Amino acid sequence: MADKQNAQKSVKIAAGAVVCVESEIRGDVTIGPRTVVHPKARIIAEAGPIVIGEGNLIEEQALIINGYPENITPDSEVEPKTMTIGINNVFEVGCVSQALKIGDNNVIESKADVGRNVILTSGCIIGAFCQVNTCEVIPENTVIYGSGCMRRVQTERPQPQTLQLDFLMKILPNYHHLKKTVKAATNN
Amino acid sequence: MASLLQPDRVVYLVRGEKRIRAPLSQLYFCRYCSELRSLECVSHEVDSHYCPSCLENMPSAEAKLKKNRCANCFDCPCCMHTLSTRATNIPAPLPDDPTKTAMKKAYYLACGFCRWTSRDVGMADKSVASGGWQEPENPHTQRINKLVEYYQQLAHREKQERDRKKLARRRQCMPLAFSQHTIHVVEKYGLGTRLQRQRSGAPISSLAGLSLKEGEDQKEITIEPAQALEEVEPLPEDCYTRPISLPEVTTLRQRLLQPDFQPAGASQLHPRHKHLLMKRSLRCRKCEHNLSKPEFNPTSIKFKIQLVAESQVLLTLTNPVENITHVSLAACEEDDPDDINSTAKVIVPSKELVLAGKDAAAEYDELAEPQDFQDDPDVVAFRKSNKIGFFIKVIPQKEEDADVTVSFKIRHDFRNLAAPVRPSEEGADNPTEAIWLTHHVELRLGPLAP
Repeated sequence: MADKQNAQKSVKIAAGAVVCVESEIRGDVTIGPRTVVHPKARIIAEAGPIVIGEGNLIEEQALIINGYPENITPDSEVEPKTMTIGINNVFEVGCVSQALKIGDNNVIESKADVGRNVILTSGCIIGAFCQVNTCEVIPENTVIYGSGCMRRVQTERPQPQTLQLDFLMKILPNYHHLKKTVKAATNN
Repeated sequence: MASLLQPDRVVYLVRGEKRIRAPLSQLYFCRYCSELRSLECVSHEVDSHYCPSCLENMPSAEAKLKKNRCANCFDCPCCMHTLSTRATNIPAPLPDDPTKTAMKKAYYLACGFCRWTSRDVGMADKSVASGGWQEPENPHTQRINKLVEYYQQLAHREKQERDRKKLARRRQCMPLAFSQHTIHVVEKYGLGTRLQRQRSGAPISSLAGLSLKEGEDQKEITIEPAQALEEVEPLPEDCYTRPISLPEVTTLRQRLLQPDFQPAGASQLHPRHKHLLMKRSLRCRKCEHNLSKPEFNPTSIKFKIQLVAESQVLLTLTNPVENITHVSLAACEEDDPDDINSTAKVIVPSKELVLAGKDAAAEYDELAEPQDFQDDPDVVAFRKSNKIGFFIKVIPQKEEDADVTVSFKIRHDFRNLAAPVRPSEEGADNPTEAIWLTHHVELRLGPLAP
């Protein structure tokens, strides 16, 4: 029983992902292939597991946290909810993301703050320093920008950062140690 | 430093046409009148026009022609940021061989802040990086131009009649003087008549000869009056029932930035050329000397002439000039008409304080002699190169004062080192005579501790 719990709390990094040693990953986190996690990024799964898809770019000092909601003490019984993050998302420097469900091709710009009750669909862009802590589903291709968090819909979704990802996957191993890839543990 | 981070703490009184209280960092000092000047008691003149994003200089005549807008740069119609040109590769058929396709570069405009692109409005991608983008034409341009011409002609005719009447009455007086006067009157219609447009550089005296001849050659311009329609287009039937999709409606600010069209839908917001900014020079109204004259080059932020008050007038504790300065403080009298804001009494040191001059090399010179001013420890707290800290006693008048304000007068001597060299008839006058200046200073000290 204890082994199973311990096995569940480990970090599973798929082959092809580049995760630097200096990043802090705690809890039950699954990282898909072709994802790049920069040093000093923090992925913390306190109140449930985090599943991250392919092709994501998580930059320095970004914080992806599946934490307890503020008004519930950690001792009481809360069932763990899984945080899912899709493919081709970009988490820029210094952003904080607590959204439980993030789709594909989203961009969360620097120092943005996304709350727990927000669901990002696809192609959304949360502008720099915008704090979105409403309780809603953000429709596709929405851009939130400006100090008043103005919104508009753009006609095309942001392009996946394939060039940047390829460049980083070549260069980062030259300067940083990487975490070893661990396949998902099978329960025997 | 009160001057940088909390500028409103210490304000100086400026005795101009209006009595303005402003911090020293926003004031100028006219050294010919030896007085403080604020932005309201100087005259502002336009120096040059430049575009804030491409930093291109533009002469004033060209700026007027292009309606004060840059030719190369665009503003995002959504968030008013500067648009940047981006390129994509699209496959396009080669002109020689229609079956093969080659990659060609296509350019479109995009905003980095709100992610607006020119494709959102339906503007096609251009094959040229710059110069391909056109602003949409205003459908009413022709009518407006015709109306403007008609009114210009009317103004010109009125001016001529006025000229003729005045010349007929007083034949002895010079016609030049009257032409000068009437030009200011006619200018109310903008660019003025064709005469004024032609003589942009010529002196006014040439006008007297031209006025009558040119007027007779102009043809008559007639306009049709505007016609009122009886029937107005009715509102669409689902005007009240159709749900509004907010992302498609433009905000008032976006709409009013384009007064020609004022589009209600976001799909009709076209980008406009960027507004030019200008550099201004300031001139003292009394002595007509320049107080601040910026450099002509838009990339340079320096000034040719810069007489800001901070470098000339004493700050509360620091001596900016290079000679020894004597400062004496005096509390305001009971019925001082300037003293309206103070809420506390102040007792200032009665002795004169001496401040050493500013010496730029003193920091690096370790063998400098220590300054030996004898300081009364009750008055002077510390002294360091050209700074001095001194004590004042404040007696608040009210018990629950949210903001204790104190005012007093500061009197110091000022040497005008850059005064023009006087001729030798004045004898052996010391060119650096000291003038005593008095300033009225107000200090906002903040709330009282409970």
